[in-house]
Amino acid sequence: MSAIFAVTTYALAQSYLLSQRERAVLRQAYLDANYVRGRLESAGADVPAILTAMAPTSGSALVVHWRDRWFSSSLDVGRSSIPRSLRDVVADGRPASIRTRIDGVPAIVIGVPLPSVQASYYEVAPLRELQENLRTLGVVLTGGALVAALAGAGLGVYASRSVVRPLNDVAGAAAQIAGGRLDTRLPPTRDPELATIVGSFNSMVDTLHQRIERDARLAADVSHELRSPLTTLVASVEVLDKRRDELSPRSQRALDLVIEELDRFRRLLDNLLELARVGAGLAPEAAEPMSLWELLEHTLARSGQTTAVLSGARDVQVTGDKLRLERVFANLIDNAERHGGGLAAVTIVGERDRALVLVDDDGPGVPISERERIFDRFATGRTARGSSSGTGLGLALVSETVAAHGGAVWCADRPGRGGRFVVSLPRADARPDGATTAGGET
Amino acid sequence: MATRLLVVEDDDRIRSVLRLALEDEGYQVSEATSGEAALRQFRTKPVDMMIVDLMLGEVDGFTCIRDIRKVSDIPIIIISARADTHDIVAGLEAGADDYVTKPFQIKEVTARLRALRRRARTPGDPEVPPDIVLDSTRQLVLSPSRGTLLRDGQDVHLTLTEFRLLSELANPPGRVQSRRALLESVWEHGFFGDERIVDVHIRRLRTKIEQDPGAPRLIVTVRGLGYRLDPQ
Repeated sequence: MSAIFAVTTYALAQSYLLSQRERAVLRQAYLDANYVRGRLESAGADVPAILTAMAPTSGSALVVHWRDRWFSSSLDVGRSSIPRSLRDVVADGRPASIRTRIDGVPAIVIGVPLPSVQASYYEVAPLRELQENLRTLGVVLTGGALVAALAGAGLGVYASRSVVRPLNDVAGAAAQIAGGRLDTRLPPTRDPELATIVGSFNSMVDTLHQRIERDARLAADVSHELRSPLTTLVASVEVLDKRRDELSPRSQRALDLVIEELDRFRRLLDNLLELARVGAGLAPEAAEPMSLWELLEHTLARSGQTTAVLSGARDVQVTGDKLRLERVFANLIDNAERHGGGLAAVTIVGERDRALVLVDDDGPGVPISERERIFDRFATGRTARGSSSGTGLGLALVSETVAAHGGAVWCADRPGRGGRFVVSLPRADARPDGATTAGGET
Repeated sequence: MATRLLVVEDDDRIRSVLRLALEDEGYQVSEATSGEAALRQFRTKPVDMMIVDLMLGEVDGFTCIRDIRKVSDIPIIIISARADTHDIVAGLEAGADDYVTKPFQIKEVTARLRALRRRARTPGDPEVPPDIVLDSTRQLVLSPSRGTLLRDGQDVHLTLTEFRLLSELANPPGRVQSRRALLESVWEHGFFGDERIVDVHIRRLRTKIEQDPGAPRLIVTVRGLGYRLDPQ
C-alpha cells in the first residue's frame, strides 16, 4: 500500500513540478521573445548585446536565430543544442517546446517564431535543480514508504495477533475441556468485545462442570446406598459357602446360583461406578508407570486364569491407574470367557511408542458389522453359552478407560479361528530408535 | 488364646455377618454400634484388634480412631465405601493400619487381620536383627528383639505397623526401599496394593521420631525410588 502511495505521490509530484516549471519557463520565454522582437524591430540591433542585457535567470540559455545567424547567451548552449525537430516546427512558424537532454542534463527547450523580424527565439531551461529536488523527494518518499510499510506490517501482525490469539485461546480451552480438564477457564480480558465471548464461555463451562459433578455425585450416592446391602449379601454368601457340606445338593446348587449372580451384580456395580467416573471426564488421579507384563500377570491371577496364556514382550512400560487398567483387562478376559468360548491367549507387543495387548478367544469372533456397536453401553451380543450373562457395561468401560489413558481398543481378525480384541496404550518408555520388541504375532 | 476383636459398625446386618464370619475364623468378637460406645467398651473390656467403619453416625469413624489412638496402639482396620476418596488417607492419618472397601469379601478381611497379627512383637526370636541406634544425640534406640523404640530410655509409642515399618527400613539401614517392597513386606499387599498406605505411615513415623517432621533427616524420601533410613 505504502509503495503504491509513494510511487503515485512521486509520479504526481514529478509531473506537477515539471509542468509547473514548464509553464513558468514558457511564460518567461514568451516575455523574452516579445522583448527580443521589439529590440530587433528597431534599427541597429546588436543581438549579443541584447542577450547579455537580458541576464537570463536560473541557468537558462537564450538562443536567437536571425538572418541565418545563431546567437546564444551561453557559451555551452548553441544551435546544436536545439533539437532539429523543434527547429523545423518553429521554422514552420509555430511555437513549440520539447524536453531533451543537453550534456546529460534534462532541459526544456522553448521555441518561439518571430515572423515579423524573420527570427526564431529559443530558450533552453535546464531542469537540473528540479531534477535534484525530485531526486530528494524520491529518496524521502522511498524512505517514507519503507518505514510506512514496516510499521504497517508490524501493526498488522500485532492487531491480527491480538485478535487471533484470544480466539486461539478459546479453541485451546475448548479442546482442554473436551479432553477432561473441566477446571479450564479463560482469563479475563480488557477488550470489551472479547469480554463477552470470554464471559459466556466461562459461564457455559461452569454450568457444564456443575452438571457433570452433580451426575457423578448422584452415581456416588447411589453407589454408597447399594454397597451396604451388597456387602451383607457377599459376606453372608461366603459364610454359607464355607458350610456347604451342611446343605443338601439342591441347596448347594441354589447357593451356587446366588454366588454367581451376586458376583455379576458386584461387577455390574463396579463397572457402572467406574463408567460414571471416567465418563465424567475425571482424569485418572493415580497414574504411575508400571510393567505391562506384571499388570497382566496379576490381572490373570485375580481373574482365576492361568498365566500360561500370557506371552510377548516383557519389558514394556505403560503409565496409568493400576486398578482401572486391571479392570480393563479383567473385563476383556471376562468377555472372552462369556462370549468368546474361553480365553485363548494374551499377547504383549511393544511398538516404538505404543504397546498393544492382544486378547484372543476361541469363540466365533465379532462380526464386522458389530465391531463398533459392542463398545456401546448395554449392547449385548450372542453368547457362546446360550445365555446372556454379561453385564453389558464391561466393554463400554474398557473403551472409555482406555481412551482416558490416551489409547484405543478395537476388534481385529485373529489368524486361524476365534476372536481378538486389541488394546493400544501409549508407552511410558517410548523408544526413539524405532526398535520394535515383539514376542509374538503382530 | 483367641484374638479379641471389636467391630464398630452401625449397619446391623453388616455387623451381624462380620460377627458370623469372624467367629468362624476363631476370633472372639464384640460389637459396638457407634464411636462413643466403642470408646466406653474399650475402657472396660480391652481388645487386641479393631474394625471400624468410617461412615458411622454420631461420632464419625475418624474421631473414634483418634480417641482410641490416644490410649492404645492396637491394630485398626477401617471399612470404607470407596477406595479413591480422601477418606482412606484421612482414616490412615487418624491412626488406622489398613483398610478394606465395601463390598469386601470376608477372606480379604481375614487376610488383613492375619497380616496385622504377624507383626506382633516376638521377643527372643534368634532371627531378629540386633538393636540399632537411630540417633545418638537423642539416644533413639530401636530394639526389634524387645519390640521397643526408646528415646532416652522412654518408650516411644508406635503402633505395631509403624514399628514393623521402621524395623523393615532398618534392615539394613541406608538402603533405599521402594513403596511397593514395603507394602509387600509390612502389609503383605500384592501388586494392586495402595501405596498411599506406605506414605501415610511414613508421615506418622516422622511425626513421632523426627526432630523436625517437616525437614526429615532420619527417614529420607528418595524421589522416584522410595524411602531410606539414615541413622544420625
